[in-house]
Amino acid sequence: MSKPSKKMSLDKKHNLTGWAFLTPAALLILVMSFVPMVKALILSFQTGVGAAMKPCGIANYSRMFKDTVFMQSVKNTFFYLIIQVPIMLVLALILASILNNRNLRFKGLFRTMIFLPCATSLVAYATIFRSLFANNGIINLALTKLGILDAPYSFLTHPTSAKIVIIIGLLWRWTGYNMVFYLSGLQNIEYSVYEAAKIDGASPIQTFFKITVPLLKPTILLTAIMSTNGTLQLFDESVNLTDGGPANASITMSHYIYNMSFKYVPNFGYAAAMSFFILILVAILAFIQMKVGDKRD
Amino acid sequence: MKKKIVSLMLVSAMAVSMVACGSSDSGSGSSSGSTASSGDSASTESGSGASEGGDTLTVWCWDPAFNIFSMEEAAKVYQKDHPDVTVNVVETPWEDVQTKLTTAATSGDLSTLPDILLMQDNAFQKNVISYPDAFTDLADSGIDFSQFAEGKTAYSVVDGKNYGVPFDNGAVIGCYRTDILEQAGLTIDDFTDITWDQYIENGKKVLEATGKPLISMQAGECDLIMMMLQSAGSSLFNEDGTANIVNNDALKVVAETYKELKDAGVLIEVNSWDEYVGSITNGDVAGTINGCWIMASIQTAEDQSGNWGITNMPSLVGVDDATNYSNNGGSSWAVTANCQNKELAFDFLASTFAGSTELYDNILSCGAIATWAPAGDSTAYAEPNEFFGGDAVSAKIVDYATKVPSNITGVYYYEARDAVATAITNVIAGSDIETELQTAEDTVNFNMGQ
Repeated sequence: MSKPSKKMSLDKKHNLTGWAFLTPAALLILVMSFVPMVKALILSFQTGVGAAMKPCGIANYSRMFKDTVFMQSVKNTFFYLIIQVPIMLVLALILASILNNRNLRFKGLFRTMIFLPCATSLVAYATIFRSLFANNGIINLALTKLGILDAPYSFLTHPTSAKIVIIIGLLWRWTGYNMVFYLSGLQNIEYSVYEAAKIDGASPIQTFFKITVPLLKPTILLTAIMSTNGTLQLFDESVNLTDGGPANASITMSHYIYNMSFKYVPNFGYAAAMSFFILILVAILAFIQMKVGDKRD
Repeated sequence: MKKKIVSLMLVSAMAVSMVACGSSDSGSGSSSGSTASSGDSASTESGSGASEGGDTLTVWCWDPAFNIFSMEEAAKVYQKDHPDVTVNVVETPWEDVQTKLTTAATSGDLSTLPDILLMQDNAFQKNVISYPDAFTDLADSGIDFSQFAEGKTAYSVVDGKNYGVPFDNGAVIGCYRTDILEQAGLTIDDFTDITWDQYIENGKKVLEATGKPLISMQAGECDLIMMMLQSAGSSLFNEDGTANIVNNDALKVVAETYKELKDAGVLIEVNSWDEYVGSITNGDVAGTINGCWIMASIQTAEDQSGNWGITNMPSLVGVDDATNYSNNGGSSWAVTANCQNKELAFDFLASTFAGSTELYDNILSCGAIATWAPAGDSTAYAEPNEFFGGDAVSAKIVDYATKVPSNITGVYYYEARDAVATAITNVIAGSDIETELQTAEDTVNFNMGQ
């Protein structure tokens, strides 16, 4: 093997090694992720049925604002976002600070139990929730036997209750997941800070609001952005739990995009445009949250 | 330095092989999911693509107990005269067939498609019109399409050309629990050749005597709506492809009838397909109305053997051309454009699904009832079925199938179906029929505009 005539400097050599290790992964990401994204962007400016596509400018983007079903799906998704995310994050925060108590027994057991829902598949839990809330499901059975309801209430065929069932499902599935982030964030807070507060006579509520929440701010920001992102892309629950019903009252944006591509006459250009609409929404919301959450300057 | 060059080469070799793995993956496709048919016709090909000429036919269909079984029986029938021909059946769920078809047709590379695939009737028009290059016109196949029920063949006819060989029958039957009807002083005859008004009257009697509704339906799905509509020969589209919703008088009657059924408590809505089947087999309802394939689900309740009766469905009141017959579901065989040996595929279909009473006799056991008229004359169809009170149900259904009015599914069938389902859901919740149907038509028109 011929040696390079000019010796490379140490820095250059290190750089080269670094690039050599980065290249395979970077290439794979480029081919598998960025090329399809650019292709989808080009597709979103085309229209046509099936394979016959022709350019159409921004028609797909203006079309979605006239699409009543898509607008309904945007409304539904924001309903989930506004109601579910705050409840979930507050609940996760409370659970995390309870389970962070050093004197609590069986901590590991409780933590595992609350985290366990995250290990279930989305489709499986959605299907189980559907049967729980069925006319002859266990929830209706319990409510009628306890005398709260006279006759079974059809949760999934009423617009509001169908949305609430989805929110309950989401809370069950994701609260433990966010709790784990808070728990790990809490490990970085010195226990002596709490002890000092205790000696100074601070109540648990005061400790929570004056110490836990401010010190956890970066983690809270992270979970808020992740939850927003996840909720805007909500798909499995809408498809499997309610099938978007009744009368599109619980359909999400991603579910509608799926229908547009695979259930209805395929209109991939329009579907791609709607996907980019979600991307823009996620970007805007994440930007706002970062501006609101970051008070460093 | 040497070490570094070696490691660099290793890394790049790894990267290349990884990329290569990624791309070769799509080639071998679903061969792992293939269920080689009978022992002698085990496939040696890799991948699920069409067979390279020769004497092998690759087929996609989805139900091992039903259409795969039927295809394998067809292969056996054909192999008697053509021992060299093998049929390679690949088990592919319908959702996957649709996705793979979409992928193949949009990418312009049809080589991944099989020779023959089974297609849901409701999706036939959409797929043939969206991807005209992916299918083969069956005009030269020598199949006599006039021997099939007209309402059935209409699904696979596009621009006057036949693209599909009808397979299973979706003729609508009314199934009733005769033991429950008895408690209300009714018999199966009280449900034969009746109108929906009489049906609701009978339903109220049953509800009073037993507390059970007559029928359950899946909320948000409009199977019953579509069955009622077709029973009067009406469709959601006109001949020219425009939506026919607001000015469709039959649809208005259907919506009113459905609301009346629901309000009277004769019809109960459930949330999922499992609940629907459960309500039938658990005896929560006194019967159901659906395509004749529902018999397979009903017969899983073995303890109810002899307590079921079958008859035709009620007819709409105040609609011209109203009949007691309709269709729901069913599928047809399509020959893809990727088929290398079209003569063989044509001959195979013409001498099995469109030409063999023996085949239809063999597959009657799995509930596949023919839409091919000559099969109905076979003695096997006249045999009584003990589960359904000793009635010759197969012959009955073949008779119903010939009377089904044909309708227009159109390309935008699923859009229209969902829009109408939304409208009906809102009507039940108390909205005005006219406004809801107008919204439905607007939605469909919006979807049809590009």
